[in-house]
Amino acid sequence: MTATRRNLEGNEACALGAIRAGCRFFAGYPITPSSEVAEVMARELPKVGGTFIQMEDEIASMGAVIGASMGGVKAMTATSGPGFSLKQENLGYACGSEIPCVVVNVMRGGPSTGMPTRPAQGDIMQTRWGTHGDHAIIVLAPASVSEAYSETIRAVELSETLRVPVVVLLDEVIGHLTETVDLAAVPEAPEVWRKFAQGPADAFEPYAVTEDLVPPMAYPGDGYRAHCTGLTHAPGGFPTQVPAVAAAAVQRTTDKLTLHRDRIESWRVQDVDDADLLICAIGISARAARQAVRDLRAEGVKVGLFRPVTLWPFPEDALRALVAKSGTQTVLVPEMNQGQLALEVERVLAGQARVQGLFKIDGQAITPDEIAEAAKEALA
Amino acid sequence: MKDTADKTAFDVNHWLRQDQMPHFLCPGCGHGIALRALVWALHDLGIDKDKLAVVSGIGCSGRLSAYIDANTFHTTHGRPLTYATGLKLARPDLHVVVISGDGDALAIGGNHLIHACRRNLDITCLMLNNEIYGMTGGQVSPTTSEGRYTSTTPAGNTEPNFDACALATAAGAGFVGREVTMQVLALRDLIRQAVAHQGFSFVEVLSDCTEIYGRKNDLGASPEMMLAKKSAMRPFAYRNTVDVPFRANHLKTGVIARNERPEYGAAYRAMTAALRDGGAE
Amino acid sequence: MADKPNATKNVLIVGVGGQGVIMVSKVLAQLCQADGHDVKQSEVHGMAKRGGGVFSHVRFGPKVWSPTIPEGEVDILVALEWAEGLRWIKHLKPDTGTFIADCQKIVPPFACRNRKRGAEPAYAPQTPEEIIDQVHAGYVMDATGMAANLGNAKASNTVLLGALSTVLEFPEDAWQDIIAGTVPPKSVEINARAFAEGRAWAQGGEKRIDVTASGLHKAHSEVHHPQVDTVVEITAEWCKGCDICVKMCPERCLRLNGQLKAELALPDLCTGCQLCSWLCPDMAIKVTNTPITEPAE
Repeated sequence: MTATRRNLEGNEACALGAIRAGCRFFAGYPITPSSEVAEVMARELPKVGGTFIQMEDEIASMGAVIGASMGGVKAMTATSGPGFSLKQENLGYACGSEIPCVVVNVMRGGPSTGMPTRPAQGDIMQTRWGTHGDHAIIVLAPASVSEAYSETIRAVELSETLRVPVVVLLDEVIGHLTETVDLAAVPEAPEVWRKFAQGPADAFEPYAVTEDLVPPMAYPGDGYRAHCTGLTHAPGGFPTQVPAVAAAAVQRTTDKLTLHRDRIESWRVQDVDDADLLICAIGISARAARQAVRDLRAEGVKVGLFRPVTLWPFPEDALRALVAKSGTQTVLVPEMNQGQLALEVERVLAGQARVQGLFKIDGQAITPDEIAEAAKEALA
Repeated sequence: MKDTADKTAFDVNHWLRQDQMPHFLCPGCGHGIALRALVWALHDLGIDKDKLAVVSGIGCSGRLSAYIDANTFHTTHGRPLTYATGLKLARPDLHVVVISGDGDALAIGGNHLIHACRRNLDITCLMLNNEIYGMTGGQVSPTTSEGRYTSTTPAGNTEPNFDACALATAAGAGFVGREVTMQVLALRDLIRQAVAHQGFSFVEVLSDCTEIYGRKNDLGASPEMMLAKKSAMRPFAYRNTVDVPFRANHLKTGVIARNERPEYGAAYRAMTAALRDGGAE
Repeated sequence: MADKPNATKNVLIVGVGGQGVIMVSKVLAQLCQADGHDVKQSEVHGMAKRGGGVFSHVRFGPKVWSPTIPEGEVDILVALEWAEGLRWIKHLKPDTGTFIADCQKIVPPFACRNRKRGAEPAYAPQTPEEIIDQVHAGYVMDATGMAANLGNAKASNTVLLGALSTVLEFPEDAWQDIIAGTVPPKSVEINARAFAEGRAWAQGGEKRIDVTASGLHKAHSEVHHPQVDTVVEITAEWCKGCDICVKMCPERCLRLNGQLKAELALPDLCTGCQLCSWLCPDMAIKVTNTPITEPAE
């Protein structure tokens, strides 16, 4: 095994990916099944001059991550469902104040304490709508350990370039899955950083409306002495309640993701061109679906798989185009909850195709056979 | 930290964002005096505004950061210490000052306060205690005196209040102090010592909410409230003594406690040096 | 001693509260009693607390009738504080009186009633040279400085006792014994040295001034505050009319105008103390004190 090929757990891959992308600060709090991310960070960050801290609670670790990022250091935290719920207020702050940061959320059963060691996919909607108010957020959903590594790198990069929090959404199975990962599969590239403020301090506006809708960020100590607030703010950074200014401020943070959609959206397809039935799934459910597609194809059943790697913003144009092209009448959505992804697929397709759910909430992963059976039923 | 600045040259306007003034505080709010004492202390320490980060929470106290011409962060309710912890660990070169309130630091953020005290990272936390949630309309806070009327204790407050300094001391803060706004020079000097302290420093400023708390409890106008608060403190000549020489209910002001435990950031960097240099797996 | 041997001897000890006036008079009274004199000691203290005037009359002789000394009948005036000494100097016998004083100045609060910068405190302006010319015999010494050099400035009263011992006919051992029996055990040693020091110093001559022994006791009046021009600027747009400056001003020279904005109503009373500026929650008051440059001498 060469140095670049390693046996890694999904959680460990997230940590190493983040460090590779330049993350130098991690604040966390123990929670199953994400604790390994913190453990690896505690060991690895000091080696590269970074800082790890275990905070007093989930809220504090999110605050510390945002604080570090405000200081101009790439920062990440990791958690699971209940902890993710606790982080929501500060996550909203990062959305509103446009502070780059990465949150790894390894989904477990819920609600409440649920089944901590059992997989689920119940945070699909929480990652998108968990915090109050309209806000932009990016959610990436890896389905393998390799992807946990590469998508965490991409999460850091998107977070930096777009000044937006990015959630890496794993499920317990991917988080605790060990696979061989070729670290060199992600090509060497210059480190990606946010735009830092340059030029005269007098003219600097921390939330200026730029062409790319992503304002440059002041590095404390560079002389810009900017103000940062969670209150709705004018381009100058100070609170405003002027209706037009306030609306424009919120609008820009969502518009910037729309503007950069092409860079954000990512998806994988399998056997979709002639599919009579399309399966749409993420994470471990998508891996089961991949096997189900293979098995069904072997039986001559024309099914395909659409797997959003970028869960939010949902790659809706891609899905619509795919459905239109293949003429698929049915989209099957297998997921480990009572139907969250299915809701989004229904919204996207808006009658273009029938959406059929395969929902499982027993703490067990969905099997290929279950998906294959559901697909056959749907086609029958 | 050397105390080298020209103390005669203090100009409060040098530290204020002129385009944000006048500030939004109510007439006679003690927070304004605390703001002056803070920037005065920073001036006396010769701190560079570019290297100063002020982190505040939510509430009347939270708004103060916006008026200081520095790197300022107005964060979420109760959490400024967590943001400051991340900021200071990521950027040890910055001077990090937290402005918090009694509700912010003791109620919603109480957990962060005790752990910040315990951790002993080099941050200064200024807790402006006006015994009330002013911004939200005058609800009872963890420091509201017993018997006081607030909008959520219409028959008077029956909860005992927190002694924030005792809490911070017990939790291990490196430096703990308390002062009233009336003694503005003493407050300035106390904050100066706190900021200069290598470790977590906690300063409780006994501030006055005239408009809400004062009115509701018939405490008079700002001057009366300030003088009353000053009278409730131990007399100035005895403020640094340990024993209580006068009335037992006199609150002690000045430096309440200090210890020289290792500063967390430096200790962390020293402890992890082996990992960094050896690269042990 | 020029007086008749059987005449009553009058010693007046003065100072301010806390200096040890009573201790000096007690030592003297006990010494006289031990030596077989009739002694009367009468003192005023108690109301003085720390810093107020204290005086004590000690009269001794074959038979003493009155407890207090009439004006102009004091043989020896011992002053533990400079201005207190001056206050009582007219009580000395004009031709034969001896004046023994510590040059230490303790400026009382009332001497600073005019709080304007540069204003002269109403403290006694007379110099030791002027005073010593007016008396038959005089000793102006830095007793506090001498005591401080020995290790405890509070022993200044014993230094003065040492000086006093040179003008009374009691043996040195008798003085030392009484002092040792009066002071707390832990300070016996320093008081013995203080007494010896004061005695040795006073034996240097009948009129002696030595105020240079220590620079410790700069009186407030000697700390030079330059006179200043005071400008009070009030930013009306920032003032919220909270009344703090108006109520807290020691001179009551501010007021709120019709628009409820603070204004300097009585500029002549303003001393430039800056309290209004420090306590203004709205940062609306700026007080600038510019020193008035004095012509070079």
